[in-house]
Amino acid sequence: MSTMESKTTDTNSPTNVARSVAYGQSEAAGSSYNVIDAIRRGEVPEATVHPEVLKAEGVIEVERFNLWYSETKAIHDISMRVPRGSVTALIGPSGCGKSTLLRSINRMNDLVEGVRVEGGIGLNGSPIYAPSVDVISLRKRLGMVFQKPNPFPMSIFENVVYPLRIDGERRKAVLEEACEKSLRAAAIWDEVKDRLKKSALGLSGGQQQRICIARAIVADPEVLLLDEPCSALDPVATLKIEELITEISQRYTVLIVTHNMQQAARVSNYTAFMYLGRLVEYGPTATLFQNPKLIETEHYVSGRFG
Amino acid sequence: MSETQSAQPKIIHTQRRTLPSAIGEPMVWLTGGALIVCLSMIVFLIGLVVVNGSMTFWPRPIHQVTLNDGEVILGIVTEHERVPTVVSQDPQYRTLYRVGNRDLGQESFRWVDDTSIANIEIPQDAIMLEREVWGVWFGVPQSILEVQAESESIIAEGSEDVLNAYAELHRQARQRRMEVEELKKDALGAINHEMEQNRLRVRQAELESERGDEGLVRANGVVWGILILLAGSVGYVLYRFRSYGTELGSSKARQGQFIRTGCSIAIAMLVLTIWIAHPWGGNVISESELESMKLSVAQQETELLVEYEHVLESIDEIESVDSQIRMVVVEPTTGQFAPISQTLSDEPMLMSQVVRLVAANDLSTMQKAGVFTSRWVEYLTTNPREANTEGGIYPVIVGTVILTLLLTIFVTPMGVIAALYLREYAKQGIVTSLIRIAVNNLAGVPSIVYGVFGLGFFCYTLGAYVDTGASESARMNAWSWWGIFVLTGVTLMLGFTAKLWSKPDPGKAASQFNRIMQRVSWLVWVIVLILVILLVTGMPYFHGLYEARAQDGTPTFGARGMLWASLTLALLTLPVVIVATEEAIAAVPNSMREGSYGCGASKWQTMRRIVLPGALPGILTGAILAMARGAGEVAPLMLVGAVKLNQDLPISSQYPYIHADRSFMHLGFHIFDLGFQSPDSQAARPLVWTTTLLFLAIVFGLNLAAIRIRSRLRARMSGPTV
Repeated sequence: MSTMESKTTDTNSPTNVARSVAYGQSEAAGSSYNVIDAIRRGEVPEATVHPEVLKAEGVIEVERFNLWYSETKAIHDISMRVPRGSVTALIGPSGCGKSTLLRSINRMNDLVEGVRVEGGIGLNGSPIYAPSVDVISLRKRLGMVFQKPNPFPMSIFENVVYPLRIDGERRKAVLEEACEKSLRAAAIWDEVKDRLKKSALGLSGGQQQRICIARAIVADPEVLLLDEPCSALDPVATLKIEELITEISQRYTVLIVTHNMQQAARVSNYTAFMYLGRLVEYGPTATLFQNPKLIETEHYVSGRFG
Repeated sequence: MSETQSAQPKIIHTQRRTLPSAIGEPMVWLTGGALIVCLSMIVFLIGLVVVNGSMTFWPRPIHQVTLNDGEVILGIVTEHERVPTVVSQDPQYRTLYRVGNRDLGQESFRWVDDTSIANIEIPQDAIMLEREVWGVWFGVPQSILEVQAESESIIAEGSEDVLNAYAELHRQARQRRMEVEELKKDALGAINHEMEQNRLRVRQAELESERGDEGLVRANGVVWGILILLAGSVGYVLYRFRSYGTELGSSKARQGQFIRTGCSIAIAMLVLTIWIAHPWGGNVISESELESMKLSVAQQETELLVEYEHVLESIDEIESVDSQIRMVVVEPTTGQFAPISQTLSDEPMLMSQVVRLVAANDLSTMQKAGVFTSRWVEYLTTNPREANTEGGIYPVIVGTVILTLLLTIFVTPMGVIAALYLREYAKQGIVTSLIRIAVNNLAGVPSIVYGVFGLGFFCYTLGAYVDTGASESARMNAWSWWGIFVLTGVTLMLGFTAKLWSKPDPGKAASQFNRIMQRVSWLVWVIVLILVILLVTGMPYFHGLYEARAQDGTPTFGARGMLWASLTLALLTLPVVIVATEEAIAAVPNSMREGSYGCGASKWQTMRRIVLPGALPGILTGAILAMARGAGEVAPLMLVGAVKLNQDLPISSQYPYIHADRSFMHLGFHIFDLGFQSPDSQAARPLVWTTTLLFLAIVFGLNLAAIRIRSRLRARMSGPTV
């Protein structure tokens, strides 16, 4: 395993050393990046987790989780708890493994050839990587929204009730009620209530994404996973989605991956900062953004690094 | 500052020229010109076919040509050309007249040198008769006679009177003829069919009693009961484990799959055993049973013969009435009238022998249009006459349409299913790439090769198997057959087990064990394939579905026919469907699949609800392309089923309604036949154009229908913005 690690992170190669030197120069504060430098060297330093997180009740428990894409290690020994009934944001530069971590929670990574995991993730106390787990029913406990709006090429109504349809629900009244409830929760009912039978592909990007959110919550998931839900949207649509996330978080636990620091600050209660597949710092959003324990986090959230 | 400025090299701005080669004007001309050349060739082709094809049936004037030597010819101008053999200063021309009247022993087309023509008239009373036999007759109508046993009376005389009386009398005469035809075809045909069936039944019983049940293993009642019980209990196990483990992920999934596939294979094998070795299979027909069967058949036959006589009587009745009404149409040169038959040249022809009377020189444009329409209707709805040079091509159209539909029905599911596996289930790697290359190469194989394969494999091997079962030399001893049967089942299970364990555990990398299992499963599939071929070719229990007929030397499926032709064409067009479907499936965005998986859908649910609907327009495009390709193929059909003449359609009201074993007529082959195989090529030539026009129209029509279906589906599937 150790050989694999050295292969994947390639810390001792001259390019990496050169890069870290370059970072140091441009920042003129290279010496203070203890944690990041350690990570760049291929070490797995202990994550800085604030006590507030440890006190909260967790809905997802990630425990010493490792993941490989074939030979490349993407996640290094991450342990974190996603508190119940709140919005938790995963931030970090591209390739830090935040999307991979998110997709590990509903095991979407199973679809990728050659993925291998170690360690575990628990959802409401049940381990999701236990050999006896039925992936299909696991995914039914989680709702997921993707980076690019991906409504199916069918009517708005059929899109929203899709998770119920695949569970074999045929009663029209049940489907209609669920559809309306879900569309209202996704704050798009008024916009589409007269065109439910029309194709969902005719909607704007922001509307499509809210349809996808409606689809994700129609079967009352235990956790809602959002994978950069606003990255393909304009600022107005982004604002609407953000309002919606705040709204939804009163009923559902939300785990969101985002590139946008302001977004994380606006919508989330907790924020985890990841770097090169390691968890760096994890705490309440307000603390993490205003008074982080690590200088790296402070620099990252203020845009001076990464 | 100034120092640094002077240190910088001075940039000299040169004027960059536009080269003559940069000017794109010639390319516009070149590309546009190429397009125009292509378009005009296509327009010319279609225009030529449409003009020539549609004008064949327009009535043209009948010329009365008086030659220098006093001979008089009645005929229609067909061609006019310069005499090719004469080389002189002033060119000589000659004309080809269609003169008909073949009963007189003359050629129905005649070249006449223009120099030998003394006079050309267009007589008002000249007519052209289209007849049931012996082609057309040119002449002048003289009278309509009613011939009784002894007396002979004239109903109408003189050209005008004859034409007036003709309409009603002809209608009646045709009515009678149709009745006779129907009686012959339906009533007599049904009786003949029944007698033939009876004969075959007896023959079959004889064959079976001769053969006996010797050497065949049959289950007795107890064993059979146990087998059924066993199948039932395995079925129950399958039912209990129907939702044990799921498709993705869990380790229980593999156990579940193992149990389910194992049970399915076991049930399939058990059901086959129960079916093949059922206890009353050994009840061979005894001598006495055979005798009583023969007796009842003989009795039925006498009844049928009586009925047959009845039908013949009523036919005679109608025909005796029919033979009374005669028509006298005189040819000018010899004064000979159109005879009833070539051997009875002193008796005038029957009214009912006339298909159509065209007084071509005395027709208004409207009347000409009427003749034109009636000829088209005849062409589209009746059977061919006179070695296909006259009459209609109804069976040809039906044959072509059914063949095309059948091949589409065969090829689409086959290709779509294969492509689905190749794209969605199969692990992408060297093997799938090789298969793709092979499929693409298959598209490049010359079509005649498929014809040879179809004839050799489908007709002579598979067809013969359907007719008479395994050949004597390959037929196995029953016990060894059952041994191989069990071996096949065990091997099949082994293969599935190896296949299941060739996939790594979820979240784990493929181990050496997995890789070995992958190889093992491939090996096992090959072995299973060989065993299944052995089982089929050595089957001792099956003696064919049409053994009696095959014994008589008239194979049913062991000859060229519709089923094999459509299967051959399906094979030929398979690559088109596979490639199109694969592309359509690949074009469904992965984000759709992910979205579906994210909602908790299984792989199959995702395929059924997201992938297949999204790929449907593309799949249909593939089916349309296959149809277009298959409809136009002729070469393989010559080998596997298309014939010059077969008026028995592949579908009929007679049991079993769809006669997939029958050979058929096909437009493409018909064109070839008319153009190059016809005994009367001059008469057939215009029909080549017409048939070509029709062929084009049918292929276009089928394509258009399919495209319409696709566009309607597409409108339903996708939104307004996509």
